[in-house]
Amino acid sequence: MKLLNKNIIGFLSIILLLSSYDALSQDAQKGDLSVGLNYFVNNNKVPYLLVKVKTKVDGKFKPVSAIDLNLFLDKDSAGTLIGKVVTNEKGEATAIIPATLKNQWHSSVKHTFLASFEGNKKYESAKADLTVGKAKILIDTTSDRKITATVLEMKDTSWIPVKGVELKIAVRRLDADLSVNETASFTTDSTGQASADFKRDSIPGDIKGNIVLVAKIEDNDQYGNLLIEQTVPWGSKFVAVNNFDRRTLFATRDKTPIWLLFMAYSIVITVWGILISLVISIFKIKKLGEA
Amino acid sequence: MENSNSIANEKIIQDLLPQKFGRSGKIWTGILVAFCLVGLFAYYRQLRYGLIVTSMRDYVSWGIYISNFVFFVAISLVGSLITAVFRLADVHWSTPLTRIAEIIAVAAIIFASLIIIVDMGSPERFYNLFIHGRLQSPIIWDVIVITTYFFISILLLYFPLLPDIKILLRFKEKNGARLHKFYGFIGSFWKGTPEQFKLSEKAINILCITIIPVAFSIHTVTSWLFATTYRPGWDSTNFGAYFISGAFLVGAGGVVVAMYVFRKSYHLEKYITADHFEKMGRIVVLLALLYLYFNVNEYLVPAFKMKKSEEAHLNGLFTGEFAPLFWFAISVGMLIPIVILLFKRGRRPLPVFIAGIMVVVGAWFKRYLIVTPTLLHPFLPMTNVPDNYRHYFPSWEEWAIALGSLAGAMLVITILSRIFPIIPIQETITEQHETAE
Repeated sequence: MKLLNKNIIGFLSIILLLSSYDALSQDAQKGDLSVGLNYFVNNNKVPYLLVKVKTKVDGKFKPVSAIDLNLFLDKDSAGTLIGKVVTNEKGEATAIIPATLKNQWHSSVKHTFLASFEGNKKYESAKADLTVGKAKILIDTTSDRKITATVLEMKDTSWIPVKGVELKIAVRRLDADLSVNETASFTTDSTGQASADFKRDSIPGDIKGNIVLVAKIEDNDQYGNLLIEQTVPWGSKFVAVNNFDRRTLFATRDKTPIWLLFMAYSIVITVWGILISLVISIFKIKKLGEA
Repeated sequence: MENSNSIANEKIIQDLLPQKFGRSGKIWTGILVAFCLVGLFAYYRQLRYGLIVTSMRDYVSWGIYISNFVFFVAISLVGSLITAVFRLADVHWSTPLTRIAEIIAVAAIIFASLIIIVDMGSPERFYNLFIHGRLQSPIIWDVIVITTYFFISILLLYFPLLPDIKILLRFKEKNGARLHKFYGFIGSFWKGTPEQFKLSEKAINILCITIIPVAFSIHTVTSWLFATTYRPGWDSTNFGAYFISGAFLVGAGGVVVAMYVFRKSYHLEKYITADHFEKMGRIVVLLALLYLYFNVNEYLVPAFKMKKSEEAHLNGLFTGEFAPLFWFAISVGMLIPIVILLFKRGRRPLPVFIAGIMVVVGAWFKRYLIVTPTLLHPFLPMTNVPDNYRHYFPSWEEWAIALGSLAGAMLVITILSRIFPIIPIQETITEQHETAE
């Protein structure tokens, strides 16, 4: 019996050792994730969160896709769940603050967002949090092409101007925003305002000359990312130049250049005219033979 | 005197009348038919399963079909060289070779057209060329000139045949009923009157003048299919002349091969003499030197500059993946024939025949080297593609269709040589009389 007990204990010890070794080896293989949270409010509408997940490979950060994250408002509980998201190939995922958290959202002027990853076979669990205060940005323009952006934050139940916030006032272009003048960024004064003169007079707009102005606060520690847009008719009107209406070598078949048509048809008519005359000669020869 | 002339004429006629296939002729025809049937089966598979049965993919979209097309277009130039150029230059020694050249031209241009349709995949796409084709595109120019050249080649074969048809119609029993009926259909109206001869001669002269610019056009336009694109190996102002010189060479090579085969098969030593081989040998060596000159321009000048975009392409040809084939095509297609034919002893029938085969084989591979390696060296690097997209080796279906088309062209030549006199009878008689006088 003692021998049996010894054998069982020995066997269980080996199993335990092996399993702990396996667990250790798995732990050794697991990577660490870096989770970043960003807060956005565009045009003072519904705020949303952008989560970025990275890991370090060979000394460089690389995005990690297919990571499941739970996002919470203020505390990690089922009732404050903003949503469950999965990162895309860029390692990013977004989620808006849902209507179900409306009461929670209005209960405070400052909120903390939590992101948690429970871990999987490849990566250890990870968490991140971000605290932001409610703020908004306004934009106004005058006929002399002056743009004024105002930054307000919520204190208790009212909006108060904020001094010393750095922001950008720019024009929306295809890939990036172009500053409205030579100044790259502006800072709000005691009234919460920052003004800029528009000096991009010849900038192309849409067919009506409309351009989109933008005032934005980026990666602010207190307010996150705020952005507001306004459309103004300050650009030059875009006149579409459609080359497909012209007769060119790269146009459609009904827009063949006249010179090419002339040359091609001249050659074809000449050569085939000769060939048809030769076929007529065959009939003449035939007629002569029959006569 | 008149009686002896008549006997001589009858001897010429008997010598040159089309002959039924002997045993070797039947075996030869059987082999060609077998190749064609295998090619047809491969084409059926291509129609059934699509172009996926080929090895052509996103990058190499022009494989041996287009190489074959360029080869056929090239060899068809022989009709204008032997018939038109020599006739206009009043060169009489080439008379026994004219029919061979015309038949080769017709056969080649037929299969040049067919292989393009094969390359399209679904044949109904050919119809799209007409309903959606743009006159700005060299592909449409090619369709126009190929059709025109085909028509001219048919006429150039037909007009000189008319006097021979009259002779053939005398031999109803030898011809057989069906062939006799066919001869009657295409030329029973030819009575050989001076008016008919006058009209026929005039038509032939017009055709000879017309076919030269059209032949130059077909080869130039075919070269422009490549040269009007901005790609390494194709972006060249040399291409038109380069293609025409190459076409003259392969055409002349094809004629000397056919001359030798017909001479042996039909015992035409009296008509296709050693002197013909001597003269054709000189022409082939001249054309080979000319083509070599254009090759030097085509490859050495870019290699001297070695632009980054051309580097991979040229290195691939000179020392890389395509080097064995490239040096094979250059040496077998040009250098060795030049060495053989530069010497008088090399211009005897057999060496000329061997040099001719080398020229034709080298020319086929040269066309492949013009078409395919460029496609494997795009300006933007190949990314996210399976490994087999980076290389090209034709599938068995492609080989079968390409070989089937080559066999088909030879079958057309064989059948036409069975139906029509391979050497113009009437012209030979007329020239014999002129020589005697």
